Amino acid sequence: MNAHQPVNIVMIEDDEGHARLIEKNIRRAGIHNDIRHFIDGTTALEYLFHAKDGPLHNGPALVLLDLNLPDMSGTDILTKIKADATLKRTPVVVLTTTDDKVEIQRCYDLGCNVYITKPVNYENFAEAIRQLGLFLSVIQVPDPSEA
Amino acid sequence: MAPPATIAATASEQQRRFGRRVVTFVSLGFLAVLVGAAASVLVVLRAQSHTDWVTHTYKVERSIISMSRAAGGMRADALTALYTHQPRAPSYYQFRQELRDGMDDVARLTADNPAQRARVPILRKGYGQIIAVLDAPVDGQLAQRLVAQEPMRLQVLATVSKMMADEQKLLDARTAAQEASARLFWTVLPFVGALLMVVAFSSVFAIRRFTGDLARSKDELAEMNEGLETAVQIRTRDLQRANEEIQRFAYIVSHDLRSPLVNVMGFTAELDTARKALEKMIDDAEEKAPEILTQEARIAAREDLPEAIGFIRSSTQRMDRLINAILRLSREGRRALAPDLLDTTAIVQNAIDSMRHRIDEAGADVRIEGQLPAINCDRVAFEQIMSNLVENAIKYAAPGRPGEVRIRGQAHLGRATFDVIDNGRGVSPHDHERIFDLFRRSGVQDQPGEGIGLAHVRALAHRLGGTVDVESELDKGATFKVILPVVFAGDKDRAA
Repeated sequence: MNAHQPVNIVMIEDDEGHARLIEKNIRRAGIHNDIRHFIDGTTALEYLFHAKDGPLHNGPALVLLDLNLPDMSGTDILTKIKADATLKRTPVVVLTTTDDKVEIQRCYDLGCNVYITKPVNYENFAEAIRQLGLFLSVIQVPDPSEA
Repeated sequence: MAPPATIAATASEQQRRFGRRVVTFVSLGFLAVLVGAAASVLVVLRAQSHTDWVTHTYKVERSIISMSRAAGGMRADALTALYTHQPRAPSYYQFRQELRDGMDDVARLTADNPAQRARVPILRKGYGQIIAVLDAPVDGQLAQRLVAQEPMRLQVLATVSKMMADEQKLLDARTAAQEASARLFWTVLPFVGALLMVVAFSSVFAIRRFTGDLARSKDELAEMNEGLETAVQIRTRDLQRANEEIQRFAYIVSHDLRSPLVNVMGFTAELDTARKALEKMIDDAEEKAPEILTQEARIAAREDLPEAIGFIRSSTQRMDRLINAILRLSREGRRALAPDLLDTTAIVQNAIDSMRHRIDEAGADVRIEGQLPAINCDRVAFEQIMSNLVENAIKYAAPGRPGEVRIRGQAHLGRATFDVIDNGRGVSPHDHERIFDLFRRSGVQDQPGEGIGLAHVRALAHRLGGTVDVESELDKGATFKVILPVVFAGDKDRAA
């Protein structure tokens, strides 16, 4: 089914600049999947759980998640995704500035699949996103609708 | 601070004056008791001597009586022998001996009394004659001889009576004197007793008052001490709360500052990519159609843009380093402390050994003098403080002078002091506080660093409930003084 339903990338990132840089570098890595961008947690959750074309009702997805959101913490979103019987198979990549060991551990405990720290050094940042792009190109994302 | 000190001084001055007065009174009291005791002894001695004299008088009287009784006895025995024509009874010789002894006794006992002494020769002479008459052979003439001797005998008897009368008078006088001294004794005794009681009571009162004062001051001291401790606890709590707030603030700020920095760096890189495209186009244009190129466009693409991007990059990189430093500090502040009994000498020696390479490179001499006091403290924090200070001492050596670093320590009243003393370039007194501020440095900027080390040291020392200060003059070396509690009181901001 994956062949017919391309993986949607859901990016939850409040900083427009970061979002733009992430998108640019993902494109540069040769990933052309659809990217849906949300700048706050509430609308992102609405889309994830209720939208007609959202991942719950409409095909596989991959979530790029920032932890520092204006209306809620990224870990709350992570918890909700991993608590849902269907959505819990959706890979979540946490991409944030926080490099606190405790925070990283907590994210993995909550079921995050990859944790990436946004490096301030742009070359490293771009490289990290490109690596993620390569990772996304080979990853097999389960289709929640088949569950 | 001045007024309480003055009050205390006045109070203690008053106390001293009161103390001196009490000592004077008690001394006077004891002196009076001593005088009273001496007077009693004198009175007793006097009474004793009076008694002796009375006894003496009795003895004199007894001797006189025994003397005249012996004379009477002799006479009776001689007359008995005369009328019975028998030899004298043996008692005659006994009486004679008694008479002689009696005369000797009287002579001896009345040696002190001129009136009586004058009568003794009369007695001796009279009794001598009487004895001579009585001792003669018992015959018909004895009666005549006795008669002839009668006046002499009467004279002796009269003398004896006079002596007895004198002695009686003396006895009366002496008995009266004895009674008087007894009365005096009974008068002096209660007086001395009363005096003794007064002195005893005032001594007890003084001691009680002193003890009371002492107990009161002890209580006051304990109370003050407690108040001080409470004040210190409150201050410490405030400080720790402020410290915690600063750390939280630093953590949040450094994180939130990072986000925009990612954008600045990222879009600067994008700008650079765009610039490269432009530069390539200008190169192409210069080759194919130089007439469309302006000087401004050429300079902008080849010089202005790279320069601007370079400055943006170096500044953001520096900002990133500073933010990371704050983050590291705040993270260090959030680390849970694990107090343990530390062999500080071994820890500092370890720190020195781990810097051996740098020390040898700088040609410095770093040594611990004596033993450092053992303390109960967090090992990592203590190690960081000491190695930071030693590292600074080596790093900021005076040019042209081999570095000499000494580490000393001592414990006093629950506080341990660690001194790191160097002969380096020193710190101008003007900068003594400034060097402990974050990102601030002092003196010639010829050494790498961001101005974080001492800020870190001070933050750690405060967190351990201690302080760190510097004593130094420019070019005269520096002494960094770390004062820590001997027993770590607990990290209250973590427990809260």
